[in-house]
Amino acid sequence: MRIFDPHIHMTSRTTDDYEAMYAAGVRALVEPAFWLGQPRTSAASFADYFDALIGWERFRAAQFGIRHHCTIALNPKEANDPRCTPVLDLLPRYLGKDGVVAVGEVGYDSMTPEEDAAFARQLELAVEFELPALVHTPHRDKASGTSRTLAVVRESGLPPERVVVDHLNEVTVREVKDSGCWMGFSIYPDTKMDEDRMVAILQEYGTDRMLVNSAADWGRSDPLKTVKTARAMLASGFTESDVDKVLWQNPVEFYGQSGRLVLDDLPGFSPSPETFSGNSVLRGGGQ
Amino acid sequence: MTFELGYGTNGFANHRLHDALAVIADLGYTGVALTLDHHHLDPYGPNVAAETERVAARLDALGLRVVVETGARYLLDPTRKHHPTLVSDDQDTRVDFLLRAADIAADLGADCVSFWSGVSDVDEATAWKRLRDGVARLLDACPRVPFGLEPEPGMAVQHLTEALTLRTELGEPEMLGITLDVGHCVAVEPDDAATCVRQAGELLVNVQLDDMVHGVHEHLEFGAGTLDLAATLAALTEVGYTGLAAVELPRHSHAAPDVARRSMAALRAAMDPPWLVEAEARVRADAAAIRSLFPAVGRHVGRDAVRPRVDARGWVHGTADDLARARLIAALPDASELPDLYRYGDDAEKRGVLRGLRPSTDPSVGVPIVQDALRTNDPRLVAAAMGPFAAAHLDRHAWRHGVLKCLFMGIPLGAVSRLDDLADAELARMVADFAAERQAAGRAVPVDATDLLRKARA
Repeated sequence: MRIFDPHIHMTSRTTDDYEAMYAAGVRALVEPAFWLGQPRTSAASFADYFDALIGWERFRAAQFGIRHHCTIALNPKEANDPRCTPVLDLLPRYLGKDGVVAVGEVGYDSMTPEEDAAFARQLELAVEFELPALVHTPHRDKASGTSRTLAVVRESGLPPERVVVDHLNEVTVREVKDSGCWMGFSIYPDTKMDEDRMVAILQEYGTDRMLVNSAADWGRSDPLKTVKTARAMLASGFTESDVDKVLWQNPVEFYGQSGRLVLDDLPGFSPSPETFSGNSVLRGGGQ
Repeated sequence: MTFELGYGTNGFANHRLHDALAVIADLGYTGVALTLDHHHLDPYGPNVAAETERVAARLDALGLRVVVETGARYLLDPTRKHHPTLVSDDQDTRVDFLLRAADIAADLGADCVSFWSGVSDVDEATAWKRLRDGVARLLDACPRVPFGLEPEPGMAVQHLTEALTLRTELGEPEMLGITLDVGHCVAVEPDDAATCVRQAGELLVNVQLDDMVHGVHEHLEFGAGTLDLAATLAALTEVGYTGLAAVELPRHSHAAPDVARRSMAALRAAMDPPWLVEAEARVRADAAAIRSLFPAVGRHVGRDAVRPRVDARGWVHGTADDLARARLIAALPDASELPDLYRYGDDAEKRGVLRGLRPSTDPSVGVPIVQDALRTNDPRLVAAAMGPFAAAHLDRHAWRHGVLKCLFMGIPLGAVSRLDDLADAELARMVADFAAERQAAGRAVPVDATDLLRKARA
C-alpha cells in the first residue's frame, strides 16, 4: 500500500515518525506552512520557517525515503498579528520555489477583517503563481466559516478544482462537494474526524476529490492515521484500488496541478550518508 | 545525457597539441576531434606509444572526450594531398595508417576513428570495389574501436546514401558506423542536415559541425552559410545521439582561439532553452522579474552537472541550472538584487548567486555573500564560493581558509579559481600542516593537497 499524506507538519515530528511512516507505506507528503503552537513575533521568523520547509525538512524526509513537498502562506491565526503580516510581501519569493506545491494554509480562524484581507491576497497569489490553494476551515463556528470560505474562493477567480477545503466533517462536506472544490479530512485521535466516520463519509459521498490526511503536528496526533484509514476502508469493503485512489492518486492529482511534484523513488532506498549543511540527521550516516 | 560539443584540432594547426587542448577545454568544449598529423601525435613518430600516453593523460586532466580523425593532408605523401587513399591503386599505406590510427584511438579511449573514401581517378566500379575491399581489410583486423565512414564532397563516397549502401554491402558490420559532417550535407546532399541526421540515426558515431553554402565545399563559421544550426542540433538530440559533435574548421587555424570562441557562442545560442532567452529579456526589461524567475530555473533548464564525466556533482564546473542562473544575474543592471536572492534562496539558488558573481561585481555586495557561503558546511556552496570573484576580492586570509576548507571537505581544488596564481607560502604552510595532521591520524591526504605542496616546492 502506497500512501501520500497531503497534510502533515513534519517539523514537529521525530525521526521515529519518519521511520514508522516509511514502514507503513508513506512515500510522499505535503507539509503546509502553519503556526507553531507558540506565536511568532516577526516576519523574519517566518522566513526561517519557510527556509526549513524548502530545505532542511525536505532533506530530513529524504533520509527516510519520503518525498517532501510543502505549501507556503501566512496562516489565518497569525494574520491577525500586525508584527507578522509583513510576511505577505515575502511570499512571492517562496511561492516560485521547487517543491512548493500550493499556497496554504490560508482561510479563517476567527473570521476577522485582517483574516479577510490576508486570505483574499493569498488567493490572488495562487492565481498569479498558477498554484493550487490549501484552505483551512475554522475549528470554531465551522459551518458558517466554511460557507464564507467558499464565497471568498468563488470571488477570487481561482478555479474550484485548484482548491482543497480542509478539516471537513459530516456537517461541512456537502457544501464543499457541491462547490466543485476538493474535500480534505484530517483524521485525529479524538477530535476533527476518526477513521470510521471517514469511511462512512466515503461511502456516502464517494471517492472523487477526497483527500485524507493525518494533519499530525506538535499536538496530540498520529502520523499513521492515513494508513489506519486505509485499513478501515479495506475492512468496510472498499477495494485496494479505492484505497490507492484516495490515499495516493487523489493527492497526486490535486498537488500535481502545481507541476512541481517529484515522486520518483529516492535512490536506494537505503539511508544515505548525505549531509545538509554538514548535518546528517542519521548521526553517523548510517554507516 | 545528450551529445557533447568538441572542436577539431585540425582547426588548431598552428598550436602545439597540448596548448590546443587547453584552449579548447577552457572555452567550454568537452571533447576534441583529434586529427593525427605530423605535428599532432604523429602515428609514425619514434615515441608514438609514450606520446599517446601523454596525450591520453592530458585529455583526462582536461576532461576532454576524443574521436580520432584521419584527414591529415600530407602525412602519407609529402607531395600529394590526402594521397594515397582507399581508392588508390596502392591502398596499403592508407590501410596501415588507418589501423595505426585505430590502435592509437583505442589507447586514447576514443569513441571511434573517422575516415573518408578518397578521390578516385579510375572508373566508378573499380573505385567502389577498391573501397569495399579496403574497408573490409580494416574490419578484418578486428579494430578495438569502431570506424566512422564520412561522406566527403568529391570523393567516391560523397553522399550519406552511398555510405549506407557500402555498409549494407559489407553485411552491416557493427564496427562500421557513420561520421556525418553537417556542412557537407548543405553542400551536396539533396536533403537538409537535420534530415541526414535522422537518416543516419543510430549509426552515427561521430559528427562534425560547420556551416556551408549549397554547391561549395568550403568550411565556414556558423552563420556564414545556410545551415540551420538549431534544427540540426535538435535533430541530434531527437535521434538520441550521445557522441561527440565537434566543430570542423580546418582553414581557420590562423585565428583558432577566436574562431573557437565564436563557434561556442553560436552553438550555445542555438541550444539555448527558449525559456532562458525569454527570462533574460524579462530581467533586462525589469530587474525585479528575477525574483520569481530565479527559483524556477531548475524546472525549465534541468539540473544536470555540466561536465558529468569529470565532475559528476557539478562542484567544479557547475550544473545546468547554476549556469542559467549566472546568466540571469549577468542580465541585471547592478548587484542590488543579489543579497535578497541569496538570503531567500534555497541551496540551488544560493549556488546560482555564487556562480553569478564576477570579478566586476560590487565587492560590498559580493564579499558578504561569499563569506556566508564559506561559513556553511555545504560543499556545494563552498565550492561555488571559490570562483573568480573570491579570487579577485576575498582578503588573502579568508581566501586561504577557503582553499583549506575545500581540502577539508573533499572538494576538488579545480573549484578554486586562479589557484596557481594566488597560492603563496602561507597557503603552502597551512596545507603542509593539514597534511601532517592527516598523516599523524593515519588518514589519507587528498591528492590535491600533495599536488599543491609539490608545486609550492617546485
